[in-house]
Amino acid sequence: MVDFVGKDILRVDAFDKALGSILYGPDQNIEGALWLLAKRSPYPHARILSIDTSQAETIDGVVRIFTAADIPGENSFGIIPVTKDQTLLAKDKVRYIGDAVALVAAYDLKSAKEAVDKIKVNYEELPAIYDPEESLKKGRILIHEKGNLLCSSRIIKGDIEKGFSNADIIIEREYRTSRLEHLSLEPEGGIGYFEDGRIVIIASTQNPHYDRDDVARLLGLSPDKVRVIQCGTGGGFGGKLDISVQGFIGLAVYHLKRAVRMVYSREESFLTTAKRHPLIMRYKTGAKKDGKLTAVKVDIIGDTGAYASYGLAVIMRATVHATGPYEVENVYVDGKMAYTNLPWCGAMRGFGVPQIAFAHESQMDILAHELNIDPIDIRLINAFKKGSVTATGQRLDHSVGIKESLYKIKEIRDKYSWSKKKGERLGTYIGVGVGSMWYGIGNTGVPNPSTAQVELLPDGSAILYTGAAEIGQGSDTILLQIASQRLGIAIDRIKLVRGDTLYTTNAGATSASRQTYISGNAVMDSIDHLEDILKAEASEQMDLPSSELIVKDGKIFSIKDSSKSIDIFELVKICNKNKVRVIGEGRFDPPTIKLDPETGQGVPYATYAFASQVSRVEVDTFTGFIKVLNSASAHDVGKAINPKMVKGQITSGVAMGIGMALMEEFVPNKTKSLKDYYIPTSMDMPEIIPIIVEDKEPTGPFGAKGVGEPALIPTAPAIINGIYDAVGVRITHLPANLERVIGELLKKEGA
Amino acid sequence: MKGMKKELITLRVNNEDYEIFTYPNKTLLEVLREDLMLTGTKEGCSEGACGTCTVLMDGKPIRSCLMLAVEAQGKDITTIEGLSEDDELHPIQKNFIEQGAIQCGFCTPGMILTAKALLDENPRPTEDDIKVAISGNVCRCTGYAKIVKAIKESSK
Ligand code: FES
Ligand code: FES
Repeated sequence: MVDFVGKDILRVDAFDKALGSILYGPDQNIEGALWLLAKRSPYPHARILSIDTSQAETIDGVVRIFTAADIPGENSFGIIPVTKDQTLLAKDKVRYIGDAVALVAAYDLKSAKEAVDKIKVNYEELPAIYDPEESLKKGRILIHEKGNLLCSSRIIKGDIEKGFSNADIIIEREYRTSRLEHLSLEPEGGIGYFEDGRIVIIASTQNPHYDRDDVARLLGLSPDKVRVIQCGTGGGFGGKLDISVQGFIGLAVYHLKRAVRMVYSREESFLTTAKRHPLIMRYKTGAKKDGKLTAVKVDIIGDTGAYASYGLAVIMRATVHATGPYEVENVYVDGKMAYTNLPWCGAMRGFGVPQIAFAHESQMDILAHELNIDPIDIRLINAFKKGSVTATGQRLDHSVGIKESLYKIKEIRDKYSWSKKKGERLGTYIGVGVGSMWYGIGNTGVPNPSTAQVELLPDGSAILYTGAAEIGQGSDTILLQIASQRLGIAIDRIKLVRGDTLYTTNAGATSASRQTYISGNAVMDSIDHLEDILKAEASEQMDLPSSELIVKDGKIFSIKDSSKSIDIFELVKICNKNKVRVIGEGRFDPPTIKLDPETGQGVPYATYAFASQVSRVEVDTFTGFIKVLNSASAHDVGKAINPKMVKGQITSGVAMGIGMALMEEFVPNKTKSLKDYYIPTSMDMPEIIPIIVEDKEPTGPFGAKGVGEPALIPTAPAIINGIYDAVGVRITHLPANLERVIGELLKKEGA
Repeated sequence: MKGMKKELITLRVNNEDYEIFTYPNKTLLEVLREDLMLTGTKEGCSEGACGTCTVLMDGKPIRSCLMLAVEAQGKDITTIEGLSEDDELHPIQKNFIEQGAIQCGFCTPGMILTAKALLDENPRPTEDDIKVAISGNVCRCTGYAKIVKAIKESSK
């Protein structure tokens, strides 16, 4: 019996990565490939009057310069089908500093740079808008023709006014978060060439099939004329879901029919790829004296910057998750996403939930302090359980591990007697904070299927075909573990074919923590199908009805007479002899119900991950410096297919959460490099205790849900609440950097 | 490149001598990646802030994006490709794999070389020594804990 699920199998890609032999986007090269470089707008908002490339074209080494007029298909792209509002090369207008207006192809990067400098663009500057609330005011200049409101989302449950009139206490606060950069260490990059009548693009990406479809659309080709191959991808975190170099490479290969390469500089990556949406969140929360929530009213305004990207998904997710993982009878949430002339925002690890969790968990913490209830207990009083109904009216029937996660962190906190006290150095204080979260797996209330195939070969091995992008999170290993367990074949006997649109089918994006649950299920389904094929063949060979056959331990048996059996690979040999490949086709689409546009009622996700975290922080009141000392995070992942990798994800999320809580802030017009955008280093890391909770999800593969994004989410709330515990100041605007902490401390002293 | 002439430079990389005809203003990183095709050395920022371009020069970790290739002449350069022998992993590489210290892997070559320099100089580092040694190598994926553990394991 093989046993590959629930085991710390070593990552299948680690060997090549340790050797340094894996090729990432910027490592891709073909002898003689031309370099591509984009000319970008220096203005946040301007009309393009003319573009003159004549001088640039005379530069030695320049092969061709492209503008919007060279785009043969639809010059509009974007990850969400109903909001494709981004141009590959701007046509009439630029909407942020960094919008591409022309593309140079040259023999070397130096000539490409010279040419970019020599392209003359004549602009008429337009007033720019930098504030989302300003942007939505009447009479403001339009950033997009259809208006400055990208979208809105609303959730209404119960009677909000009644909920507040029943409350003993009402807490009202406003919270804000900042624009954040994913900062995958690998900058965007790739190559392209023309082969067999097709444009081939090899690039780092989270989403090869989407890339193929949108590049084909830009070029006016059918998708089968474009082949996208995902190469080694050095981190994504949502930042490689949108198209970056792929569109430019496609355009150049379309016209030149020769190899080209493009790599973003770090500065280009900072300025022109997606960011995390800053949200303004106004909360009004009502509760009884005993801590039970009676009403939650939230008003959210998001800034999507110049383009839509995932703005719609982010505002929907933020509104759906606005109550936190708690039962609330009366809810009213209104979310709006506005355009501004700032760098555009898209998906970043958690799609709006890390922002909203910071707000709902701060509210819980204030309530706990006001009502004098232990912060873990107040969460336990309100936490979802089996049978709870969410704000969208969804009944949670299984795999609701939030309470368990709270018990686990309580155990740790009490075992080590973590509590508020004075620090060792003068002026330092230590506090303990709690944060909880819930996170819907997959896309919100829309179909988001995955597909996969598993093929058996006569030599006793198998091939797993998946379109699911491996971006460092580990899906290659997890999907192989699932296939191996379900097939009963050792993991090293299964070859993986992944992320090549010619040989694999669409698995949907590596986002929304969906690959383990959704693609994992597609793999399971393909093996179900495979077994049906084998049974049909065995039924002929054994002359028994296939309803009488079962598959077990690599053989097909008759249920009536177990002495009658046939080895599955014998069957494969017979099929192959008859020129039939034995391939199971799998598909899984999580069952959801579209949200009602007026009330937000529906079933947005088939399942949710839950988590709680307790963090111990030290505040230096002289400098404002916060050090996270210890942290314990308990995550209900359904079932850990690979516990070591789940713990790796949890530690990873805590690191990114520390960045979000304490240091990360992309300041438009200022942030360009790692020198003005700080992310956590080894010195910023606390001792981390990752805890796995397994409340099995019956619809998940072996009970699994997901963990990639949840890992991050409870961290910032736990830290911010820890700061309050330590020194009694509440940071309502992230990050809690030195200035903000000192500012709040001074305010408190003054008061 | 106008006004600049290519020059012949000699580099010793992974115990092999190379003669390269290239521009004198190229960084060591560019020459390693573009001329010698040693792409295991990464370029995460080009300004000395991320550590992905770390190589060893006479055993010391340096940022190859901050150094001109001509300045590296006469020195012994080790890149990640020079650490393993015939695909036989160096113990640090092995421990990175076994401890789960690799996620996307983009920081890994620089991290491993920094670890090697540390262990060559200080075979029994404390956890704090390790944290300090890798503090200039950023990792966006792992949260560092398993990297520290892998280096600690390699010191045994
Ligand atoms: S590329 Fe050299 S330090 Fe970042
Ligand atoms: S493993 Fe991705 S940056 Fe370190």
